[in-house]
Amino acid sequence: MTDSSADFIRRGRCWVFGDNVCNDGDMIPFHFVLAREQRPEVLKDHCMIGLDPEFPRKAAPGDLVIAGRRFAQGNAHIQAFFALRGLGLSVAVESIPRSSLRNCISAGVLILPECAGVTATVHTGEDVEIDFRTGRLTNHTRGAAHAYRPLDEALLQIIQRGGWEAHFRDRLAARRSA
Amino acid sequence: MSLQTLTQKILSAKVGRDVREGEIIFPEPDLIVVHDWYSANAGRTLRQFGVERLYAPDKVMFVTDHEPIAVSAESAAKQAEIRDIARQFAIGHHFDVGRGGHGHLFPVEAGFVTPGMFVEAYDTHVPNYGAVGALGFPMLNEIVEVMALGSVWIRVPATIRIRLRGRLTPGVLIRDFAQKLIADLDADLVNYTVVEFSGPAMEHISVDERFTLCNTPIEIGAKSAIAEPDDVVREYLSERVQCDIDLPRSDADAPFVHAAEYDLTTIEPYVAVPPIPDRVVPISAVAGRPVDHAFVGSCASGSLNDLREAARYLKGRRIDPRVRLFITPGTQAILRAAIAQGLMDIFSCAGAIITAPGCGPCAGGRIGALGRGEVSINTGTRNDPGRLGARDSEIYLASPATVAVSAITGRITDPREFARGTS
Repeated sequence: MTDSSADFIRRGRCWVFGDNVCNDGDMIPFHFVLAREQRPEVLKDHCMIGLDPEFPRKAAPGDLVIAGRRFAQGNAHIQAFFALRGLGLSVAVESIPRSSLRNCISAGVLILPECAGVTATVHTGEDVEIDFRTGRLTNHTRGAAHAYRPLDEALLQIIQRGGWEAHFRDRLAARRSA
Repeated sequence: MSLQTLTQKILSAKVGRDVREGEIIFPEPDLIVVHDWYSANAGRTLRQFGVERLYAPDKVMFVTDHEPIAVSAESAAKQAEIRDIARQFAIGHHFDVGRGGHGHLFPVEAGFVTPGMFVEAYDTHVPNYGAVGALGFPMLNEIVEVMALGSVWIRVPATIRIRLRGRLTPGVLIRDFAQKLIADLDADLVNYTVVEFSGPAMEHISVDERFTLCNTPIEIGAKSAIAEPDDVVREYLSERVQCDIDLPRSDADAPFVHAAEYDLTTIEPYVAVPPIPDRVVPISAVAGRPVDHAFVGSCASGSLNDLREAARYLKGRRIDPRVRLFITPGTQAILRAAIAQGLMDIFSCAGAIITAPGCGPCAGGRIGALGRGEVSINTGTRNDPGRLGARDSEIYLASPATVAVSAITGRITDPREFARGTS
């Protein structure tokens, strides 16, 4: 393993959302889906604006999006996660549909996907740190810590590599040199 | 060896060791299916990543079901591009326009799919293959990784076991149960699970009906669905495949994450109301609603049995003059059988229009679309706003029997009112 544990730790302000955040509309305007826009640097300016029009200006790299059940529900379109990536954000949610989890990994966004009750432990603006490899969430504002099941190491490696495209290129290169 | 679900057994066989739920593995599918609305993108992506040869081109199948009749010059050009891609990458099975039919149906009827197989496909409804005890996993853009390298990561899913007993009553079809089931199950519980069907009722449930059973759970987030293969499957496949047929099953005490049992005798006709497939109500709640448009077909309900059920009500009757009714046989073979059995005669005499085999209107309403404010009752897979055309049109999903009688009366109608007089 060449990466260091620090690669999987993020600390910043948290932004808390409720249950049933919708992939299309809430997380990204639908016209970017229709246009098949996939550039994080374009999509970042429209991240989560269905729920908070100021969000792209307020959020800073390292910040954490914390949400309730069925995050990114509805039709799973990867643009929502490329937008999060563009802003340099990571995610902790109470649950996420399988197809959106796959998009999150493909887009290279760190996530804790099974944080039961997490939205009750944080408020927007609090100073939160997450170790995505161990599953430990520390709320520095409150001086509290919670443990959740982390994503499998193999999937964390795909995210750390930058998502699906980079992972696919690595596998192709490995086959060519084999 | 620890106790395993059918899904774990299939995946264990693929990776050569016992797998645990939640584990990340790279199983190599026995078959990879890509449909005509993605084949060209797949080819472009492969070229973009510099892939010249596929891992196992003989295992790759291109199907032409979403738009078998090109509706524009662009579509015709895309079909030509797909033919080039199929040649360049030596795709083992290219079922072009008019060959095969619906990719979630004909590979089963043609004997490509057998119990215990593992299949990955670009399209949501490949769990249909669970009808014969095969495990089908949908993939999106990552299907090109499977084409190029033979596998992609998957997480071994948990299994929900649904046991069925009893018999459906006249006028009630397996589609009614399938809709009721996804309304009952908690989406958070179903998320990323395989829904497995078994129980004493299965001996009366045909492979055609099992397509419907396995088709719907994905709408609420299941990874796949599978019917425990049994003698019904063995008999169905006996005339279709040459090899010995194994019937793998879950161990009795395998670790199911949830189990439920249904008595089919208690099922009544159900209708999914806009805007999601699991918003399901008993038909009495919507009976009488006028409809403009009706459709029997799709991977959920495009089998010969589905056409037979619709024809049972349409025989000797005419549809309401305000309604247009589309009939889409799932496959070329179903079309031939329906002609031989006189069903197409019944449909055309009733005033229905028959479309090319494949997805029919369900593929985004490219044919047989809905206009503004129109109401459809159909057997398609989804009822999202705009799925079949105008965003403010409304789609009700129901069984072929309910669709047929509603087309006759011009209003959503309970088929049990007609069932007594049919045979």
